[in-house]
Amino acid sequence: MKILILMSLILCLPLLALAQPKSPQSRKLFPYDYTIDDLPNGLRLVTVPTDYPNLVALYIVVQAGSRNEVEAGKTGFAHFFEHIMFRGSENYTAERREAIFKRAGAETNAYTSDDRTVYHATFSKDDLDPIMKMEADRFMRLKYALPEFQTESLAVKGEYDKNSANPIRQLFERLRETAFNKHTYSHTTMGFIKDIEAMPTQYDYSLEFFRRFYRPEYTTVVIVGDVTRPQAVDLTRKYFGEWKRGNYVADIPAEPAQTGPRISHIDWPSPTLPIVAVAFRGPAYSDVTKDKMALDLLASVAFGQNSDLYQKLVLKEQKVETLGASFDDQMDPELFAVFARIKDPKDSDYVRDQILETYKRYTTELISQAKLDATRSRLRYGFAMTMNSSNAIASALAPFISLRRSPETIDKLAVVMDAITPQDIRDMAKKYFRDESRTIVTLASKAKESAKNDAKEGEK
Amino acid sequence: MQRQITTLLITFAVVMPLLARPGFANTPKTMATKISSTLLPNRSPLVTFRIIFMTGAASDPSGKEGVAALTAAMIAQGGTRTISYEQIVEAMYPMATSFDSQIDKEMTVFTGTTHVDNLDKYYDLISQMLLDPGFRADDFTRLKTDAINFLKVLLRQSNDEELGKEYLYNVIYQRHPYGHHNIGTIGSIEKLTLDDVRAFYKANYTQANTVMGLAGGYPKELPAKVETDFAKLPAGRQARVKVDRPKLASGMHISIIKRETRATALSLGFPINVTRADKDWPALAVVASWFGQHRSSNSYLYQQLREARGLNYGDYAYIEYFPRGMFQFTPDPNQGRRSQIFQIWIRPVVPENGHFVLRAALYEYDKLVRDGMSKEAFEATREFLTKYNNILTQTQDSQLGYALDSRYYNIPDYVTYMREQLAKLTLHDVNRAIRKYLKSDAMRIAIITRDAESLRDAIINNKPSPITYNSPKPKGITEEDKVIENYKLNVKPEAVVIVPVEKVFE
Repeated sequence: MKILILMSLILCLPLLALAQPKSPQSRKLFPYDYTIDDLPNGLRLVTVPTDYPNLVALYIVVQAGSRNEVEAGKTGFAHFFEHIMFRGSENYTAERREAIFKRAGAETNAYTSDDRTVYHATFSKDDLDPIMKMEADRFMRLKYALPEFQTESLAVKGEYDKNSANPIRQLFERLRETAFNKHTYSHTTMGFIKDIEAMPTQYDYSLEFFRRFYRPEYTTVVIVGDVTRPQAVDLTRKYFGEWKRGNYVADIPAEPAQTGPRISHIDWPSPTLPIVAVAFRGPAYSDVTKDKMALDLLASVAFGQNSDLYQKLVLKEQKVETLGASFDDQMDPELFAVFARIKDPKDSDYVRDQILETYKRYTTELISQAKLDATRSRLRYGFAMTMNSSNAIASALAPFISLRRSPETIDKLAVVMDAITPQDIRDMAKKYFRDESRTIVTLASKAKESAKNDAKEGEK
Repeated sequence: MQRQITTLLITFAVVMPLLARPGFANTPKTMATKISSTLLPNRSPLVTFRIIFMTGAASDPSGKEGVAALTAAMIAQGGTRTISYEQIVEAMYPMATSFDSQIDKEMTVFTGTTHVDNLDKYYDLISQMLLDPGFRADDFTRLKTDAINFLKVLLRQSNDEELGKEYLYNVIYQRHPYGHHNIGTIGSIEKLTLDDVRAFYKANYTQANTVMGLAGGYPKELPAKVETDFAKLPAGRQARVKVDRPKLASGMHISIIKRETRATALSLGFPINVTRADKDWPALAVVASWFGQHRSSNSYLYQQLREARGLNYGDYAYIEYFPRGMFQFTPDPNQGRRSQIFQIWIRPVVPENGHFVLRAALYEYDKLVRDGMSKEAFEATREFLTKYNNILTQTQDSQLGYALDSRYYNIPDYVTYMREQLAKLTLHDVNRAIRKYLKSDAMRIAIITRDAESLRDAIINNKPSPITYNSPKPKGITEEDKVIENYKLNVKPEAVVIVPVEKVFE
């Protein structure tokens, strides 16, 4: 039995607090005490002391992602830049960085998505000072030469190549491209291959990207663990205080309303199981309006592992190998998408139609109160359960920091969640699951004979 | 890395079912009760259970290999006497939780975490699952099929890396209680009956074998309640299966599993006479961390084979059993054993480089044994490990797991113990430990590859295995390559056998 946690839930809900006295009204979704301190240059510090001893999790959240790639030919740059951030700075070579992290016994990495880039490390609390100093150096004084820049662009291309073997990624890329025309969500975080191939020649643009977005007003330092507020504030001021505020604001084009259903198909060159994605334009993240949260709950009820559709297609009829919904919390309106990988190509149309029928069903049918309550409970506790270490708490907090720059948004979201009724869910389904807002993308093996083998081969 | 549609990708990945894990414990019993306990109360809103039964695959009766695993599965993934499994899943849904089992040779652990709000309901369910299992026929059919499929399809056909590691263990522990995969063998699982499972449960799920692990913000009455409830189990006696050091014929032995697969996977190893209970373990832990820290670019092997030469995704070394390493950054606790192996994991390479990389791994191993570690490497690794141990125990669940393992191995709190031991360690200790424990003349190797015959031929004839790269390499590497390309493997032709994959785990 596996814990089923909605992706949006993981994204929405920060980690549960570690140290919280048990009181009847402490039903806060983020039950940890935290403090917010702002530097004059616009940098924000969020400190969350926990009872987990000896470790601190340092998460530096930059509010820049692939969404900010507004110029033509520059897709994939936020992600590429994340790679460049490891190539050395004024006072620390890449090798010295590695050595310092090793001696700190650290677990460290970074990631980029549509709306944010997150640099994170979990390490012994005794090393907070030297690591803050080192991190500040790369955020303020990043330094890399052209050859390293060009070598790194090959690594990024390598990442694209390795990903391209996975049909799901290609499908997702096509879905975004088809559903969005103007908004920057039309490209994925990885970017278009032609832009990735052009990266080696974009050294000057990379410096421009750094200058625009790697600025204190777009950055939040999150420290969770065996730390005190005075300690965190002191180190942040000491090492990040000199950072200069910027003045660039990206002009993200709004996506116009979709006026008719869209469809696209990918011919996959090798044997694989067919995949179908059925998506609708959905709302952006909000901790005030009901739209997003209502649909999050619906995603679990209608397409989760306990749903009628899953029971039918995956367990009883066994026509579908995997089924799931994807509906992230994003800055701008995002897609509500359902993906299914089908065992036999001849069932592709049937599965697509079953998904469409399920979408339609909830535009008229009310979910029972009992089901809604159980789902709400599941989301609440699912979120609570993910926060089982300082690192996990910081990790859960990061998306919310990038969305609203404060953990407060999590509890506002919980208030919205608790107020949702079955009628709200039906209303939102009706509002968003309209034919003219729909995009369907399918993927299947090209050759006819390979289609026969698809039924026997599984995804390895 | 770019993180998008992560959950989607995870959902769409093929996931291996949890391998059951076994364990042991030589702990003194508490005064008035029969079960033992390890308690870690704190102010967390979460409550974690790790309930160990000191029984596992090493206790499988001959001819019934797999019964321990199947019994554990029937408990954690089957209905109770009064509630069906589907009803259990339904009841756990709003709690967003589950109850899982993990089996190894010596211990079986049942784990689950719940929010304290749901503690009563959750404990009610799991205590029934453990104390009043249904052993229902429909669950039995499903779980027996799952077990066979796990070995036949998932392990044999979908995961060369795990296959190589598990087969290596089977080879090293032939004719030994550890000699079969924890899940069993296909032939014996097929013959198991519900009565076998009931008998195994009755004989092994006793109070004497129970160690209750509890962590979190639970009410202080809970431990006493669990003790009272578990008095329902037969008292039993602590009886341990006799586990000797495996006796291996000397000389290198290589098993090449022939399988229709794109790349060549390798696992190498031999038994060592050191477990976490021994005073030399911290020294060997430093060696393993330096030589091959799991999934870390700190690993020396990783630097030599991946970083410098671009041969594969990673190369690591271990002194404790670590299944599912490809899916995790840290090992699951509660797989304590009385016998361990030193193991090198070489992730898949292109077949053309199979012979070269086998030589490279042995070349590096020989160098380790001959030259030991340098002062610089020792100090950097010691510092890393002292602090990294905090990462191993950063969650409540892992803290509890390590506490239970410390109990098993009769050592103090792991992080404190290691900090103290590492501080006292010297370079001399570490190099002495290498010479004493890592020098073996009975290396066992498992290779998974398609063209087994030509690889075997190349190995037994010590054919040169030149390597070419797609970019220029530093002189140090090319000079070393000249040595590796012709590195003589001291292996007799009769000690290099080809095994068709269909025979494995039968």
